[in-house]
Parts: sequence; structure tokens; C-alpha cells
Amino acid sequence: MLDALDKKLLKTVADLEELPKGAYNIRKNGKLLHREISANINIETNAEGTGIIVTIKPGTKNESVHIPVILSQAGLYDVVYNSFIIGDNAEVTIVAGCGIHCGSPEPEGHAGIHDFHVGKKAKVTYVEKHFAMGEGKGRRTLNPTTKVFLDEGATAEMELTQISGVDEANRLNEAELGPGSLLLITERVLTEGAQTAVSTNNIILHGAGSRANMISRSVMKGNSKQIFHANMEARNKCFGHIECDAIIMDNGTNETMPALKALHPDAELTHEASIGKIANDQLTKLMSLGLTYDQAVNRIIQGFLK
Amino acid sequence: MLELKNLYFSVQSSDHNGTLRNIIDGIDFTFEKGRFYVITGPNGSGKTTLAKLIMGINPITSGSLFFDGKDISNLSITERAKLGIAYSFQQPARFKGITFRDLLSIATGVDDEKKFLDMVGRVGICPLSFLDKEVDARLSGGEIKKIELAITIASNPKLAIYDEPDTGIDLWTIGPMVNLLKKELTPKTTTIVVSHNKAFLDIADVVIIIDKGKIVYTGNLEKALPLLTDLSICAYHHTCEGDQDAGCLR
Repeated sequence: MLDALDKKLLKTVADLEELPKGAYNIRKNGKLLHREISANINIETNAEGTGIIVTIKPGTKNESVHIPVILSQAGLYDVVYNSFIIGDNAEVTIVAGCGIHCGSPEPEGHAGIHDFHVGKKAKVTYVEKHFAMGEGKGRRTLNPTTKVFLDEGATAEMELTQISGVDEANRLNEAELGPGSLLLITERVLTEGAQTAVSTNNIILHGAGSRANMISRSVMKGNSKQIFHANMEARNKCFGHIECDAIIMDNGTNETMPALKALHPDAELTHEASIGKIANDQLTKLMSLGLTYDQAVNRIIQGFLK
Repeated sequence: MLELKNLYFSVQSSDHNGTLRNIIDGIDFTFEKGRFYVITGPNGSGKTTLAKLIMGINPITSGSLFFDGKDISNLSITERAKLGIAYSFQQPARFKGITFRDLLSIATGVDDEKKFLDMVGRVGICPLSFLDKEVDARLSGGEIKKIELAITIASNPKLAIYDEPDTGIDLWTIGPMVNLLKKELTPKTTTIVVSHNKAFLDIADVVIIIDKGKIVYTGNLEKALPLLTDLSICAYHHTCEGDQDAGCLR
């Protein structure tokens, strides 16, 4: 059963108050806690026993799958390999996320290696949140990998969020886009204290008419550090855009490296990147509406990471 | 309702061995409740600086400001806003992830859909498409200015300051905007508009002309016009010796 701590972690990473409706798979401390399948969505443990395979039947509409992971066992580093096979013309929302509670000096961590095969004209919305809490001094590490393969006309919208409390994160996102497919990635990362986060994104636009938009929003508080790599490679007539903004607070540092490669004469690739403190005119405007300096800072950061 | 007493704002001059240069050079003036003031004058004369001193965006160098009898000289922007002073910026800030609705909600302290729709209708923008738009770089210059006006009006201020509200606004919107600001003026509010636009000067109760950080004229538009024409034509008006000046290029 879910205890109070499990519920708090689930609420934060998957917005779940209770067990969700529809298909779900809840993993706790490296083991299956609850699983439910539906008529159109099957979940099974993979052959190696190292993760799950989620299969969405072609043509499935408006269904969702929740696959949260919670960790509260000292010294555990949980690695899981999950595959998502989304049938042609299906539309599905997948809510993933990892919540760590660390109550001891022992480190805890999770690496979710996810691959997505999105069928023709199928659409997947993937929402992933990472969060850690607890009074323990152990390092909390999250190293997710996401690989996306988009078939002809497929769409993937990915919202990747690291809320707070994660000491070390090393993320890898990879995507390969087929003809006419669309990929939208929005990544939001907040680090504080001495935390570090590295995000590497490799997006290859193979198909004619494929489109990719990668948005990254980073906030560095305290002495935290973030490094962001985005490599977009166009191998056909296609459109790609990278937008990365970083707000530095306190003594945080940031390195942002967007890279564009056009290997086709009709490729259109653009990027915009900015790193800096909160703009003074934004603070002044909100203070002139009655907010204090601190309230204005919080409101701007909240909007930026929304 | 707002008294400026011997107000100075000085900056270190870059070309005179760091000596102080007065951007606002000893201004005394009292704004009265329920009246519509337009501050005008040549470029760089100190109009916006004066407006910012009133809001507390720039700190005064010396002198004092009294608002409804209370000394606000050392109050922060936030404290002045809470007393009922609102400011519409010439170049409004753009945000990522903050919508028009969010700003209205911050300005009014409530999240009242009906009130918001009424407000955006009043400033002449389509409520439904605008309310949940992010106030970001994608908005046109005119759109963001209308949003800025709506936010100021929505906060129901005792003193509303509008810095060049017509910048970026299309010609056919200026008329309705002028009427709106005039209409929003109640016996309880005071409006200060910084503008060069004759449409605003036409409806002003009092025209204030600032030149080189000093008030050089207060009164009606009719008597201000000759002075305004002179100030706007000649950059050397302050050293002008009149028709006798052999060096005059006019």
C-alpha cells in the first residue's frame, strides 16, 4: 500500500492523490508496487526483468498511462529500462517522474532509460518531473535518458521538469524524426545550493518536412551549475529551432551550447540563447504593481519555469 | 495631492571631471486631485526622469515629495504603489511565462474574470484572445502598450502616470486612447501624461513644459504653443539672444 511519504512523492512528481484511473505502473525502491492495464494499453515486464514495455494499441484516443518511480531506500541506485510502443494514429499521454526521499547519509539515485517508438500519425505527450526531498545528507542523483523515434507524421510533445532537491543530474535526450513528424521538447531545470545539472540533447531531423522545437529554461540559484548542450542536425528539407534561456541568481553558473548542423540545402535551423540575471525592467514593473522585490523575483521565476 | 518641493536629481557628468549635472534642477510643483496634467518639452529635458522620481524608480538627490500630505521621498516603488501611485512605462517590460491575466491579477489583487474582460474591452483590445497571451517579445509594440495601459487603469490608482502612452500605437487608436484616459479620470484620481502628442495636450487641464530639468511653463495650451514651437525647433534656445544674435542659423 501507499504510505504518507509515497503519497507526497507521487503527488509532486505525477500529480496523483490516489491510484490513478486507467493504466499505470508504480515502481518503489526498484520493485513493482502496483500495476494496472487497460483494454488499449498493455504493460509488461521486459524479458530481462529490468523494466517495462508499454504498448499502446493503434487508434487509441485520449488515454493516459502513469509510470512514476519513488525511492526512499538508503544506498539504492535504481536503473530501469522502459520501452513505449505507440501504435499508428494513437493519442496518449504518458506521465512519468521520479521522487526521491533521502533520510540518511547514504546516496540514492535513479536512472530511467526510456525509449519511445511513435507510430505513423500517432501523438504522444510525455510529462516527466524529477524531485527530491528529505532531511538526509546523502546525494540524490537522477540520470534520465530519453530516446524518441518518430515515424511518418508522428508528434511527440515532451515536458521535462526538474523541480528541486536533486544534487546531481545528467540528462540525455535523443530524437530521430521521420518525414512530416513534429517534436516539441520543453525542459525546465531549477538548481540551488551546490547542485549540478547537465543536459545533452541530440536531435536528428531525417525526414522531409520534419520539425523540431527545443525550449530550455534554466534557473541557477546559490552556487549551482548547469550545462546545456543542444545539437540539432538536419538531413532533409526541415525546420528546427532551439531556444535556451538561463537566469542566474546568486552565484550560479551556466554554460549553454546550441549547435546547428544543416546537411541539406533546404534545411532551416535557428537558435536563440540568453544567459543573465532577471531583467531590471521586469522587476521594476512588478514592484510598481505593489509586489516587493522578493515577491517580484519569485513571480518572474515561477512564470519562467511554468 | 502630490507636492514636489525643491526636487533635484543629479548624475555624475562624464566629461566634466565627474562634476554633478542636474537632470532635474530644483522643481517645485503641486499636482491637484482630479486634474489631467500633460508634461511636455524637448527631448532630454527631464520629463521621464521626473515621472520616475515620482514613482520612486530613480532616487531623488535632494528635495522632497509629499503624497496626500505624507512624505514619500524615501519610500520604495512597492510602498508608493501600495499608496495608490501607478506607472505606465514607455517601453513596457516583456516577460516569459507571465500572461496579461497574471499581470491584471497582480495589479488588482483579485482574479476576477468578469472584471478583467470589462477592463480589456475598455482599452479597445479583444478580451478573449488577449487575456491568456504571454506578455512576451511576440507582442507588437502597440499591443503591449495597450496591455500596459489596461494594467495601470485596472489598479484603480489615485495617481496614474503614463510615460508616452502613444508610442507604437496606431494613428487611429490615439483618439480613443486619449478619450479613455480622460474618461478614466475621476474626481478622485490625478493623471500625469508625459507626451509630445498634441492630442493629449489638447485635453490637458494643465500643460507643464520642462526644459533642462526646470519647469519653464505651467498653464493652458494656448499660451504654451508659442513656447513649445520655439523649444522644438531650436536646440540652442537656452542660449538664444533673439533676433539680434548674428550667429543664429534659423
